[in-house]
Formats: sequence, C-alpha cells, structure tokens
Amino acid sequence: MSVANESSQEAHNMQEHHSSVRYWVVWGVLLALTGLTVWTGSIHIPQFGLALALLIASAKGGLVLLFFMHLVDHKGANRLVMAVSVLFVLMMLIMPMADLATRYRPANPAGSHLSDLPDLEFIEGKKSTHNRAGGGAHGSGQAAPGGQQAPSPSHP
Amino acid sequence: MNPSSSTTADGVLPAHDAHDAHGADHAHPSYLVDGTTIKSWLLTVDHKRIALMYLVWILLFFLVGGIFAMAIRLEMLTPGPTIMDAMTYNRTFTLHGMIMIFLFMIPAIPAVFGNFVLPLMLGAKDVAFPRLNLASLYIYLAGAFLALWGMLNGGLDTGWTFYTPYSAHTTTTVAPVLFGAFIIGFSSIATGLNFIVTIHTMRAPGITWFKLPLFVWALYATSCIQVLATPVIGLLMVIVTGEQLFHFGLFDPARGGDPVLFQHLFWFYSHPAVYIMVLPSFGVMSEVVATYSRKNLFGYRAIAYSSLGIAFVGFFVWGHHMFVSGQSTFDAGVFGVITMLVGVFTAIKVFNWVGTVYKGAVDFKTPFAYFCGFLFFTVFGGMTGIAVATTSLDVHWHDTYFVVAHFHFIMVGATVMAFLASIHYWFPKMFGRVYHEGWGLVAAVFIVLGFNATFIPQFLLGNYGMPRRYFEYPERYQALNVASTAGASLLAFGFVIISVYLTYALVYGRPSGKNPWRSKGYEWISDSPPPTHNFVGPQPTFSEEPHLYVDPKKAEVPNAV
Amino acid sequence: MQSSAHTAGATPGVPRLAAHFASLEVQNHAARLGMWLFLSTEILLFAGLFVCYGVYRYAYPEAFAEASRHLDLSLGTVNTVVLITSSLTAALAVHYAKEGKNSLVAIMFGLTIAMAGAFLVIKGFEYSHKFEEGALPGPYYTMEAVQLPGVPLYFTIYFLATGLHAFHVIIGMSVLVWLMFKAMREKNFGPNNYTAVELGSMYWHLVDLVWIFLFPLLYLI
Repeated sequence: MSVANESSQEAHNMQEHHSSVRYWVVWGVLLALTGLTVWTGSIHIPQFGLALALLIASAKGGLVLLFFMHLVDHKGANRLVMAVSVLFVLMMLIMPMADLATRYRPANPAGSHLSDLPDLEFIEGKKSTHNRAGGGAHGSGQAAPGGQQAPSPSHP
Repeated sequence: MNPSSSTTADGVLPAHDAHDAHGADHAHPSYLVDGTTIKSWLLTVDHKRIALMYLVWILLFFLVGGIFAMAIRLEMLTPGPTIMDAMTYNRTFTLHGMIMIFLFMIPAIPAVFGNFVLPLMLGAKDVAFPRLNLASLYIYLAGAFLALWGMLNGGLDTGWTFYTPYSAHTTTTVAPVLFGAFIIGFSSIATGLNFIVTIHTMRAPGITWFKLPLFVWALYATSCIQVLATPVIGLLMVIVTGEQLFHFGLFDPARGGDPVLFQHLFWFYSHPAVYIMVLPSFGVMSEVVATYSRKNLFGYRAIAYSSLGIAFVGFFVWGHHMFVSGQSTFDAGVFGVITMLVGVFTAIKVFNWVGTVYKGAVDFKTPFAYFCGFLFFTVFGGMTGIAVATTSLDVHWHDTYFVVAHFHFIMVGATVMAFLASIHYWFPKMFGRVYHEGWGLVAAVFIVLGFNATFIPQFLLGNYGMPRRYFEYPERYQALNVASTAGASLLAFGFVIISVYLTYALVYGRPSGKNPWRSKGYEWISDSPPPTHNFVGPQPTFSEEPHLYVDPKKAEVPNAV
Repeated sequence: MQSSAHTAGATPGVPRLAAHFASLEVQNHAARLGMWLFLSTEILLFAGLFVCYGVYRYAYPEAFAEASRHLDLSLGTVNTVVLITSSLTAALAVHYAKEGKNSLVAIMFGLTIAMAGAFLVIKGFEYSHKFEEGALPGPYYTMEAVQLPGVPLYFTIYFLATGLHAFHVIIGMSVLVWLMFKAMREKNFGPNNYTAVELGSMYWHLVDLVWIFLFPLLYLI
C-alpha cells in the first residue's frame, strides 16, 4: 500500500483468467464437505461436535471467499477488509460468552444450566402441568411447583 | 485580515466576481454559482454542495438538540418540578441524546467537512461514489424526520440507550424513533464506505499513504469504524422494534433472555461510535495546529498510527459501560485494562500537538483559540475517562453526573470545539469570504468559559452522588445545578454570537483570496471557493508533504493582528 | 452501477468511465473495494444474531439440541446443496462474462435465480410446518413435543436469522434478475466490462456464505 495508486496493481491482479474447471472442483469439495458435516452432525459427537461443525463451515466459507469471490486474486485492501471483519465478529462472540461463563451465577438467565434459579414459567398458554424436563437441568433440585402458573411479569 | 498573501504565485482571486486575474476562471465558476436552480442543488453530485446541504441540516438539528439541552438545564434549576413533569423530562433528555448523537455528532465533521475537504486534500475531483454521497444525504434526512416525528409525537422516554426490557415494554414511541435511527445508520455506512474507497483509489500522483494529510487519516479511521460498527446497532434497533411489536422476549429474563446481552450488543456499536464522534475532531485539530503554528506537524507517523490504533482498540472496550450491570468481573477486568490502552493513543496525539506548537510561530486566530480550548478539554475529558474506566471508581460514578460531565467534555469540549474550529478554518475555502476575527475570538471566549461553567459543576455533582436522568434531586445539589445552568446560558450565548457574525460574513464578508491562512495544507492548493470539479485542468501532482513549513526561525514572521 | 455500459455514446464492450475517476482501472478497483466493504457490513449485521445464538446456546444446550432435532434436516440439506450450486452458477456467470459469452451469463444467472426461488419455496414449507407445530418464537410457542427452558429463544433466533437471510436472498435475486436482463438485452459484458456481474455475484456468494454457517448451527446441534 505504499504506492500512491493501488489501482494499477489491482488491475494487474485481475488479469488472471483461469478455466472454469476450478469452480466445478470447488463445488464438488463444497458438496463433499456438506455431506461430511451432515453426517458428523447427525451422530451428535458430544464433546467437540460444535468445533468440528464450525471447522467444516469455516473451510466451506473459506473456499467460497477465496475462489468463488476471487479473494485469492483480489489482494491488498480487499483481503484486509474481510480479515478485520472476521476478527471483530470473533471478539463480539467471545466476550459475551465469557461474560455468561464467569458471571455471578444468579445473574445468569434463570432456568439455564448457568444459573441455580428455577426456570420461570415461560410457556404461555400451558393449561396443564407437564413433566418439567428442565428447570435447572444440572439438577440442583429445586423444581418449580408443578401446575402453578407464575404471574407473568413481562406484561405491562 | 490581509487577504492578499499566498504561498503560490497566484494573485488575489475574489471568489465570485466575474473578472479576475486569470481568464480561465470565467470558464470555471465556483461551485456555489455553477448552476443556480433548486434542482441543481437538490440533485447535485458535487461533494461540496452535498456538504453544504448537510451543514444546513446538521446545524438545524444541533439547534433543536440544544434547545432541549436548555430545557433540561432549566428544569434542573430547582429540586422539584420547574417547567415540566417527570415523564416530559424523561422524553426531553432522551430527545436531547438521540438528536445530538445520531442527528448531529455522528455525521457532523465527516459529512460536512469530510465531504467538502477530502477530495480537495487528495487532489481528486470528487469522492468515489458521488451518487451514493447524495443518497446518503437523503437517507439521513429521511431517518432524521422519522425519528423526530416519533419524538415529537409521543416521545421516547427510555434514554438514548433504550435498554431492554424497558424499551420493549414502554408505551412511548419506540418504533419510529429507533427505525429512524436505523435508517440514519445507512447514511453513516454509505459515507464511511465512500471515504474509504476514495482514499484508497483516488489519491493524486505523489500522495502516498504517509503523505496524506492527517485529517484524511482521521477520516479513514472514522470510516472504518462507521462501516464495521453501525450494522450491529442497526440490527439491534430492528430487533427491539420487533420486541415492542411482538414481545418475543429475546432479552427478557421472564422468557429466559439476558438483558445484559442487549447491552453487549448495544455498546459494541456505541463505544466505537464515540470514536466516530471524536476522531475527525482530532484530525481537524492536527490541520489547525500545523497551520496556525506555521510548523510541520510533530510526529506525523505517530499521529497517523494513533488514529488507526484508536479505531482498532476502540472495538475491544465496550464493556466499560457495563461495569455495574451484572457483567462478570472477568469481563470487567479485560475491558478495563484494554480501555486504559486507548487512552495512550490519545495521549500520543496530545503530546504531538503540543510538540507542534512548541517553538512554532503561532498566529492566534479563532481556530487556534478553539484548539486551545479543545486541548484543555480533551486532556481533562480524557483523564476523567480513564478515571471512570477504573472499575472500582466507576461503581461510585456510574450513572451519576460525573459520567455526564466526562462525555460532554469530550463530545462538546473536543468535538464541538473542533466543529467550530472547522467552520472557521474552512470558511474561506467554502465561501471565499472571511469573517470578523474580533468577534470570532469574543465568541470563542464565551464558548470556552461557558462550557467550563456548565460542566465542571457537573463533575462535582456526580462526585457528590447526584444521579443522572433524575427528575428531582435533594436540596443540597441545587447550587451546583444553578451554576451549571448559568454556564449553559453563556455557552448558548456564544453560539448565538457565532451564528450572527458568520451569517453576516456569508453575505457581506470580505473576499478571502485563495489561501488567507497561508496554510500549506493540500486543500488550499485549489481555489477558494473551488470550481465544481475542484481543479482546473488535469489532476495536480503533490510533490511535498502537507504542512511543510520552513523552519520558523528562518521564515518571515507573519504580522500578528 | 457506474461500471455498467450504456451502448449510446460508449465503446461496445467497454463501460462508460465516470468523470471523476482517473481511469477505468481506478473505477473498477473502486467498485470492487466498495462491494467488499458493503459485504463486511452484511457480515457484521448477521454477526449480532450469531452472538445471540452463541450466548443462548451456551446457556440452554439441551433446549437448543432438542429443538434442532425438530427441524427437517433433509430439507435443510437440500437447501444447502441448492444454495451452493447457485453459488457455482453465479461464479460461472462471472467467468463467462469475462469471456464475453453474454447468453451463457444470462443462462447462469437464470439458473441461480431459479435455485434461489427453490430455496425460498423449501423454506416456506419449513416455516408453514413450524406454524402448524406451534414452534414459534417467544410467547407464541406452543409445541408440546419440546418443553425445555430456552426453547422459545431457539425459535426466536431461528426465525430472526433465517428471516433476515431470506430477505437477503430476495434482494440478491432482484439484483441478479436485473443483471440477467442486462446480459440478455445489451449483450455488452466482456473482458473489459464485467465488474457489474462480478459485484452482483459477490453479493450472492455472501448470501451463500451466511447460510453455510447458519445451516450447521441451526440444524446440526
């Protein structure tokens, strides 16, 4: 970026004209990865299923960015724009999740496994008692009183 | 003010007269007169005309926001109700905040002075996407009118921060105001996008990245923030409007939601937003300080990098607005530490500006007077920012007038001072006239003193525990409140003076000539006011860096007026 | 778009150069960079929803997993394949535009639009099924089969995310329709005039990119 005008560099980069084969190849790989993620997703790997799914999705996304969107040819500022955006998205994801993980527990959403408080009666219009499968699923034991409609505090 | 001297060999060019020293100017009328129909203004794609139209509306919205500020201060004169009831008060401060932030502060310097001066500083004929530029103006106006209509027709009472769950349940007019602000966001993104592309692709031969004027660096950093941060608040506003209508409960604890998540998303934009508001003002000040000290900017690269640094690091500090909201102490710690880092970049700029003035041949004109005020306010505003960034201290100060005073020191003390300095510095460039320097200095004194009188009492009030957004307060806070209101009146008076002499100068001001400040900034190479396509003939080449003044000891000392 | 050609007054196969640009290369570079910046705003827009998703999935893992099983995985997979293929045809359209084969450009865009339409139709089926089941956001949730805390939040995020995505699909389709007609009528795309095609195609790829991430996060928990 030290030349006064990057446009000539950009035009040079864009001279490349490949055959269309690479698009078909990338398409094939994308389909294969889709199949892979559907398979691994359906078997519900407990510990790192999410990480695997994200990894495959990132690979697919990377292929689309680099080859379909020609980021492999568009050098310079165009790449920087994408890289910085991704970085900020990651930051935006990490800090709130870290917040929930490290917060004073009663401040977490009630009924979640991050809180010891029982779930508020959240489902409107339930007319009969149900087997509560949740309500602090980690099992600290305080089940909400069955059948009691808690007054909904959200309506003004 | 002697309009005749100039760094080039050109003679005096009265901007709008038909005759002049150069025959070529007949064929290249100034942008002000090139096309006199209303349509030529409303459908213009000339960045300079667009900038002027922005200026008119921005000043108007500033006036409206200022009127509501005075209403707040009048209400705060007595501990109980003074001129309004509690609900009206809530609407008034919300309106003041919304207008000032979204309708004034965010667009002010970039949309007016950025639009006007950026292509001139790059030796370009216009911005990269002139039609998008025009569209951004109309999008801004559409959003502004929608938001104003909402505010005046029911009025939002949530505060400009519209935290959930209250904003999802209040019966006041959330939808039009937030949707209006959402529309304004598109204008902000469009402007930022335009500037980034312009700076990357339309620099004249000779202008490498490290010969860019520092105002351009500041605009670049600001534009990056505008482009990346604004979509987040846009989405959030749409979601909250949806919450109002459908009550999905995304942030409602009763439905398993987390209100603090709203705050994370809100402040992810709104903290970088304050850098959108302040970075351009730092850029303007770099230009002003070099021109009026008649000295090369001290530490050019440091200032350039620090602009980028503020923009980048500013995205990682948003949680310092949430120290007492229920956020975890781990997050609070991380955000607090990174916030300290942002202060370093601003301090770098302050030292470099002072280094520029030191041993310079200072020409104490109105813009320089605003620079002096700006410097004082940035230092104290910034330091109080570091103070509230300290979590343990913020527990005491959060949601008190201390915070209010802190951000007004930066928003008014830094940005509005810079806005005023810009108007005065670039007045000859934009209109080809000079204003009365004496009145300029008088008004600057009123503004600076009035500002101090308004907001220093608020630091004290906050420290003594007076909360913000409270309609009533205990008797013991009254004296300081009265002092603050008195200061606000002085400040308002200063603005009145400015509007009078500047309007007078528009009509009756003496022609300025091309470069009345003898500045070596790039934008002064073009005529004042410039012709429609900025430069006559081919794109000029810029062989020297901007603001390359001769060693002051060896140069002629300009006559001090 | 500024790089589009008008046959009147312009050299065939070369777009009209706007007055404020120094050269055609500058104009193309500016258009492309502008589009990348716009795409980054779209990424940040969706990011907010991904953050909501991340936080609430972390808080309610069982609810999210359970609710996700009630989505139709085969329809979702078909949609993913459809969208990826539409990305292929969009990329091929750019390829043919660079080679000046305007009728192929139009065909490729036509295929892309058709697949986008198919995507929306399938999504429509999924939505109507949810309406029947009662799998709706927040207070409207009445699906008996899953009664865990946090489930309505899942569906709030599901509808917001897929709704916003579908909205972008529609915008993308409109852009592609315009480009398709341009290719058919003016037949002016070529090696010196394909920027408009490229930019429209880039927007379409972004729509695909978002779905690539939405799919596993919503359907494969």
